Parts: sequence; structure tokens; C-alpha cells
Amino acid sequence: MPARIERLEFKPAPGRSAVAMTWLAHLDDQTRLLARDLKGITAAELQWQLRPGMNTIGMLLAHLAMVEVIWLTVAEQRPPLADLERTTGQGRDDDGMPNEEYGGKPPAKLKGRSLKYYLNLIQRARAHTKPIVRRYRDEDLTRSFTRTRLNGERQHVSIRWILYHVAEHFSGHYGQILMLRHLYRDRNGRA
Amino acid sequence: MSTTTPKRIESRIVPAAGYASPSVAFAVAAIADVHAQLAAAIRGLPPAAFAWQQAPRTNTIGMLVAHVALAEVNLAQVVLLAEPRGHTPDVLALTTDDDGMPIEKYGGSPPAALAGRDEAFFLSLIERAEAHTFAAGRALSEEQLGEEIARPPRPDGSYRVFDRRWALHHMVEHAARHLGQIHVLKRQWKAAQPGG
Repeated sequence: MPARIERLEFKPAPGRSAVAMTWLAHLDDQTRLLARDLKGITAAELQWQLRPGMNTIGMLLAHLAMVEVIWLTVAEQRPPLADLERTTGQGRDDDGMPNEEYGGKPPAKLKGRSLKYYLNLIQRARAHTKPIVRRYRDEDLTRSFTRTRLNGERQHVSIRWILYHVAEHFSGHYGQILMLRHLYRDRNGRA
Repeated sequence: MSTTTPKRIESRIVPAAGYASPSVAFAVAAIADVHAQLAAAIRGLPPAAFAWQQAPRTNTIGMLVAHVALAEVNLAQVVLLAEPRGHTPDVLALTTDDDGMPIEKYGGSPPAALAGRDEAFFLSLIERAEAHTFAAGRALSEEQLGEEIARPPRPDGSYRVFDRRWALHHMVEHAARHLGQIHVLKRQWKAAQPGG
């Protein structure tokens, strides 16, 4: 029997900018792994809170989709919420984050939602992202501009930072989702 | 009319200078940014916070920081530099067992190697890992990123094949994932303190 080979390669799709396509590949890789790690998750686990005020896995998944749409819209220098509802069917408040501002409870709109629902949100966000990133040339990545955040703060951002941030933000919450799964399995001292 | 100057927040990723490959220059800038966030997340924590477990058989903040540094150094050695085996003690003075992960394999408790360690120790791990990664990537060409690096066979005959592009990608996403967990653990630790 031939030896089993585990291949760990990272091949971004061709595009106008190799760097931009690398960040798109990062997002696609993390989404694939996340879907694999959440296979079989129940609606009860998706809406489980470690304690009041803590994010649920469902909230984090909705947040990932929303943040991706918002930042890529910002990259296009359009109002941050311009594409959100049309792309994901979600409003700005629908992830219930930060949870302290929403009474410490998961949002009603996410109650009983399945993994399929959340993966669909992320897929819709990615469908919004891809044509934007594929258009970028290397010189577009250095473009920077000043924007006013929804909280009124002024922020200077570059396209390059936005692509990086959306990717690392996705990975950060992915790590939290894995931790919540571990804690859910071990809840009430069950190992 | 207010005369207050609005607060300006800068968010930039600037590819590191002096790299043969533009992709590596961008990747190490991303790694440096995640490291800076990691350092900011642990700054000011007492030794007890690094050793705190939110439940039995769960990782501590200290274990996660050590794990990020160890994984990055090991990956730089065996993939970016294509060395036959990792030698993390030369860089971090820790072996790959010293993070105590996976915790189930080590009896469910944090490892002795990290007991009583303070903020300066963990910050130093991040700094040393970063310097090592930066040096390992400096001379890599764009062409070398897709080269196949095959690891020695395992006892069952299977073996792993990497490319350097994957290693750089993994360094960012792996550190970012554990950073996300550290943020939650820090919040949990604070809530568990008297008056928290």
C-alpha cells in the first residue's frame, strides 16, 4: 500500500494581484475548516451562552458574515451598511454584538437557526467579497483613505489593511468558536 | 463650535522592507501585527492570570502564548528553512512539549515549564519567535514559496508535505485563532476575580 501523504499547500487562485488573492484564499481556507469543525452542531449548541453577556457560536458566525460585507463595502469607499441587508438579509444589530449592549442575551433573530443558515450567510458575504478582490491590482492595495466610523471616530485605512484585517478577524473568531465547542462539550462537568 | 481635534486611528499593514519576496514581506507584516495584538492582550497581566484555567482540562493564556511561539519557530525551521528537524530550544529555551498541549495528553493541568512565569517571559517568547521568523523569511524568493517540503516519514509510513506559502498562511491564522481565545480567557479571568 502506498504511504499516505498529508499535503498542506496553499494555492491562491490567479488574479490581478497575487497578494490580494492570497487573502481571499486565507478566507476560503478558514471557511472550509470552520465548516468541517462545525459539522453536526445542533441549534442548541449554536445558541448556547457560557454565561449572560458572552457571545454564542451563532452570534460569532453571523458577525463574521456581517463584518466581511461591511469592510469590503468600506474598501469600495461606500457607506459601510450599504450592501449589508441586500447581501445577507441582516441588519447592523442582528449579530447582537457587543452583547452588553443587547441585554446580555443572544438576539431573537438568531433563535433556533441551523448551521446551514449561518454557512449560507458566510457564503453570501464571500460572493460579495470575491468580485471586489479579484478586481484589485497591486497598486490598489496601497490606496488609503480616511473614513468616519459609525461611532464617529475618524479612521485612516488602506485596502491592504482591510484585506488583512478581515482575514485575521475571521481566524480570531474561529478560534473562539473552537473554544466554545470545547466548553459546551464539558459543560456541567461532563467530559 | 468645538475646537477639539478628532481622534484619528490609523490602521495600516506595511510590507516589511528588505525581503526578496513581496509575498513574504506582506506575510511577515501580518505576523508582526498579530504578534503586536497578542502582546497588547497580555500586557499588564499578573503571573496568576497566565496560569488560570477556566475549567479543568482547558488551556491557560500562558500555554496558548507559548504554543503560538513554539509552533511558529518549529514551522520556520522545518518548512521555511527546510531543516531536517525543529530545534525550538535554541530559540525559545522551550521544547515543543513545554506548552503542555494538547492538555489531555499531559494530565489536564498546565505544564511545569510555565509555572510562575510572568508577563516579561511570555512577551520575550513572542519577540524571539518573531525575530526568528523574520530572519528565516528574509532571503526567500517568490519561486521558493511553492516548493514542496517533504517531512521524514512517521512510524506508520505516512508523511507530510508542505509548501512555504502554506507555512506563512498558517503562522498568521494559527496565531490569530489563539489570540481570539486569549481575548475570551482574559475576560473570563477578570470576571472570576473578586469584584470582577
